[in-house]
Amino acid sequence: MSARAGRRWGGRLLTLLTIAGIGVTLLPYFWMLSSSLKTGSEVFELPIRWLPRQPQWSNYPAALSRGAFGAYFFNSALVAMAVMLGNLLFCSMAGYGLAKFRFAYRELSFRAILSTLMLPLEILLVPTYLVVRGLGLVNSYGGLIVPLAVDAFGIFLMRQYIKDLPDSLIEAARLDGCSERGIFWRIILPNCTPALGALALLTFRDNWDQFLWPLIVASRDTLKTFPLGLAQMEGIDSAAYHEIMAIAVIAMIPTAVIFLFFQRAFVRGIALSGLKE
Amino acid sequence: MAQERAVAVPGLRAALGQAVGRRRLSLHTRLAVVGFLFVLPALLHLVTFKFLPMLQAFRLSFYHYDLMSPPVFHGLENYRSVWSNPLFHQSFWVSVKYMFGVSVPEWFLALALALLLNRRLPGRPLIRLAYFFPIAMSQIVVALVWKFMYNPLGVVNTILGWVGVQRINWLATEESALPALILIGIWRGIPLFGVIYLAGLQSIPREYHEAATVDGAGPGQTFLHVTLPLLLPTILFVMVMSLLSAMKVFLNPLVMTEGGPNGSTRVLPYFIYETAFAYHRMGEAAAASMVLFAFAFALTLIQLRLLRRGGVE
Repeated sequence: MSARAGRRWGGRLLTLLTIAGIGVTLLPYFWMLSSSLKTGSEVFELPIRWLPRQPQWSNYPAALSRGAFGAYFFNSALVAMAVMLGNLLFCSMAGYGLAKFRFAYRELSFRAILSTLMLPLEILLVPTYLVVRGLGLVNSYGGLIVPLAVDAFGIFLMRQYIKDLPDSLIEAARLDGCSERGIFWRIILPNCTPALGALALLTFRDNWDQFLWPLIVASRDTLKTFPLGLAQMEGIDSAAYHEIMAIAVIAMIPTAVIFLFFQRAFVRGIALSGLKE
Repeated sequence: MAQERAVAVPGLRAALGQAVGRRRLSLHTRLAVVGFLFVLPALLHLVTFKFLPMLQAFRLSFYHYDLMSPPVFHGLENYRSVWSNPLFHQSFWVSVKYMFGVSVPEWFLALALALLLNRRLPGRPLIRLAYFFPIAMSQIVVALVWKFMYNPLGVVNTILGWVGVQRINWLATEESALPALILIGIWRGIPLFGVIYLAGLQSIPREYHEAATVDGAGPGQTFLHVTLPLLLPTILFVMVMSLLSAMKVFLNPLVMTEGGPNGSTRVLPYFIYETAFAYHRMGEAAAASMVLFAFAFALTLIQLRLLRRGGVE
């Protein structure tokens, strides 16, 4: 009896711990939001002010006018969307080819594709830059988008998902005289929307805040993504923290909204990456 | 990009169409060709932006190249000068410290989080949402918010002050800058790997736990003898993934500390970036990249080995 009571109390303690941990997890968000609404002097007040005396909503327009943030956000959105579409198309095509067809060197191709997971941009920074320069894409949207438009992780994800689709679906369509392209667009893609959704979310998140690659390949101000704009603003006036935080809040909105609405697909996508193989 | 592919694929199709017209290929052959064509665009892309650059980096590591004048063959000179550069050695160890400093706590804390979130909890969906939220946060925002929190007059010092710790200028002190960055890495990694662990936990059939309970095993024993062995593939995956992702860290040192103070946060990717794009020593940067690649390669090999031994595949 007492052992059971002890276990129940232990359980309650764990629940409390779980809830307390949320505080630590979300503290940076709270601090960011709160600071974005403070005055310049409240930001560095001691002892620290957890909440602003009077929310300074005017920080937001003031911060936005500090740089061409409209253009920066546009660039980030454009890059993220284009990279996402590229990945959705090419990764699902490749995933379909690898999952449902037999051809010479198929396994080798798959292994070669997977091996590129070991070659992130951080390792290939210099030569990728040289390739993009050779293609004449430095300082262009193409240079920002093209090198990222296919990723082995997406191919892996799509292959795993398409593999589990029944072959009979494809064979039936083929017997009905459906073209191969038609099978891909009308049978395969509609049947893997969960995987496509997860891939879309993950690629969007990873590319919405591209920093390293634009830093190297896009020196023109009109091509800057918002992380570059933000870092530049911070470099110029690191005391304007209330305004930097205001931009940070705005920058968080797209991914936060996507996450809140599509949490399940998001989590499933990440989980899929860890489960098989 | 899309255009380039769109041109390439119909071109091949047309060539194939002629072949098909001349003598009808069997369905088997035709399907093989179709399947290959589906894979081809991705394959071409990866050859252009992964394999060729890799070869290029390898070649470049034997050349002297400053982006202006044409590359000059240099033999092993780049490797020699990188090897004799004390900053490289420092960077190497900073990277190693960062990698293990971030991933080892992640392995345990992420598992703990997954176990906590897998229990019956009031308002569980909401709690999970709160914990997983940092996954959605953009890297630059993370860097700037934490930089602000680490300010001498900031939140971190205030909270530590409650338990009597002296104020520190976290990012400007040699001893504390790297630990400060490591803490951010852990904070950001736990939710991500927690999700992966949670998926692993949920894929374990409930009957196993029920059977263990029927046999009289306590929660601790069930965890050790049922959960842990079944979770092994996930654990190995998390171990390697966390190391690999910590290996790539770059943005935080760049934005928060610029590799300082005194190079105490200059991780290898930052060293490479600096060598290449600040000093224009492309060959040396390529040589240093090879070291980083060897790292990634070794980790991946270890993962494959362990996974095979763990009974996966």
